[in-house]
Amino acid sequence: MKNQIYLYDVRALSELLSTFIRQYVTVENYSWLEEKAALVASENNAAQLNLSFAAISRKTGRADTRLNADQKKQVSVILPGFSVDGWPLHRLCRTWILLQVNPGDQDNYCNKIGGLFKNAEMNELADLYAALPVFAYPGMWVNRCAEGIRSNIGIVLEAIMYDNPYPAEFLDEASWNQLVLKAFFTDKDVNRIIGLDNRANPKLASTLIDYAHERWAAKRQVNNQLWRLVAKFIDATNFPAIQKIAASEDLTTRKAAALTCSQSEYAPARNLLDKVPDLRNDIIENKLNWLNLNS
Amino acid sequence: MCCNNSLNEKEVQTRESIPVDLQSIRGMKFFDPHVHMTSRTTDDYQAMADAGVVALIEPAFWLGQPRTGPDTFRDYYSSLIGWERFRSSQFGIKHYCTIGLNSREANNEALSEQVMEMLPLFIYKEGVVGVGEIGFDDQTALEEKYYRLQLDLAKEAALPVQVHTPHRDKKKGTQRSMDIALEHGLDPYMVIIDHNNEETVKDVLDRGFWAAFTIYPFTKMGNERMVEIVKQYGTERIMINSAADWGISDPLAVPKTAALMKQRGISDADIQLVTYQNAITAFAQSGQIDEKDFVMVQTIDQSERFEGNTVLRGGQQPRIDTSSIIIS
Repeated sequence: MKNQIYLYDVRALSELLSTFIRQYVTVENYSWLEEKAALVASENNAAQLNLSFAAISRKTGRADTRLNADQKKQVSVILPGFSVDGWPLHRLCRTWILLQVNPGDQDNYCNKIGGLFKNAEMNELADLYAALPVFAYPGMWVNRCAEGIRSNIGIVLEAIMYDNPYPAEFLDEASWNQLVLKAFFTDKDVNRIIGLDNRANPKLASTLIDYAHERWAAKRQVNNQLWRLVAKFIDATNFPAIQKIAASEDLTTRKAAALTCSQSEYAPARNLLDKVPDLRNDIIENKLNWLNLNS
Repeated sequence: MCCNNSLNEKEVQTRESIPVDLQSIRGMKFFDPHVHMTSRTTDDYQAMADAGVVALIEPAFWLGQPRTGPDTFRDYYSSLIGWERFRSSQFGIKHYCTIGLNSREANNEALSEQVMEMLPLFIYKEGVVGVGEIGFDDQTALEEKYYRLQLDLAKEAALPVQVHTPHRDKKKGTQRSMDIALEHGLDPYMVIIDHNNEETVKDVLDRGFWAAFTIYPFTKMGNERMVEIVKQYGTERIMINSAADWGISDPLAVPKTAALMKQRGISDADIQLVTYQNAITAFAQSGQIDEKDFVMVQTIDQSERFEGNTVLRGGQQPRIDTSSIIIS
């Protein structure tokens, strides 16, 4: 596996995406794309790639694409966790063009893609980050992904954070934690972060608890979703924070406390949950979970 | 350097609004030791001068768009000691700066190496009052590497250090920044730890560092909280700044906070310490700040004639009448 350029069937994905694209673009634009794809595949330098990548938005406009259940499944069979549903058409077309770049020479391939990142405007940047899961040499994009998390541009952050399987699969713990912290700091919908619960870790939990204390000191609201990442690491030192939210005047916060306790092995947390049997039952019957907490 | 937190609407709506009245602080002088004027307009300069800001420090920071080569760093540093300083002087405000490689861009190793080579060319320039703003953002290994190298640079140049503390994981990041500064043999009295809050202030003061507070809407300190901090911790080694930049920020944060302090019963002497004198004491350790210079660039009443002449003195900017629909 390790020495494979792609860890999935790139030709199958390319063919599938081309059928989606054909649904949305004019015949004229589709033949333009096909022509460019052939040039991108055969060129040694990046001239046609740079041209077609940038020009795509002028050809396709900004319309969003929608896949049916069947199409979504076809995508996830080829590349588990990956989704193009709801993508703007330019993102779909650009991703397809990127799949045509010849990956034979690793340095050449990485320089070509890297050049697109370096010269991108913000929509292009978002398209590139959203396409991280399909790139060849997947391990080579870790620093690039971490760099993207440092951006302050909303759509760029969302391209990395939302429905993107790349970060959870490839980022080291420090970069992953930055992604999650930044999502909380910028009020992103954390339910759309793939791998959020699986990659919970003690360091992140501790930082999030510090963050909650900071928000409380400033008399600001704390995002209830952060406690799901603390749940597995409740101990004597941080339990007072859980008691505090369990005693909140706000029902949603008390629900979050109950959910947190339900995922903990720490006995006092279990006892705390037993004091709210209604919420405990809702959790057991899955009427209450982290996905519907805020609704 | 600011952050990019999106606004929480509920928080915005519940905020009570008290009209600004800077009348009570008329005649007071202010020093804003952290403000990114590069990202601000001439209207801000005028408003700051009108509110009593006589001098400021512009720390080198991240412009929002990551730089891709050394020349854009060079041009930016040059603008801090060149064009921006001139622009400020036109509004009667003395402009100083701190020079450094910011933490975010320190993560680009190849570029950072080139910037580190360039920094000694700039930190000894006139009016450079420190190395800054440096420190941690994501708290990566590369950020630590360049923080340490720049601490050594500051130590050799005997310059104060302006330390940016991270938004995320702030408490640990602040402690770590101080530990490393001490490890490198810096006198904590030469180090200004910036962007403090209720959770970090005690430790910073106890360890002998300067504690700067950024009054920045929504994401950092509010000025009502600042009033409480001064009531609790006093004024020794405490200073406030606006850190106004390209985000939703307020270049009048320092005078406004002074007005609020006055309204809430803090003495004029204490207000003067946290909004003016302490910052000067800290950064004047660079040997680059002379209060007499503030007067030199001071705004004059433009209706007055200079030696019978209506020509504006020293290239001062003429005022525009913003209440008129006519732009002439």
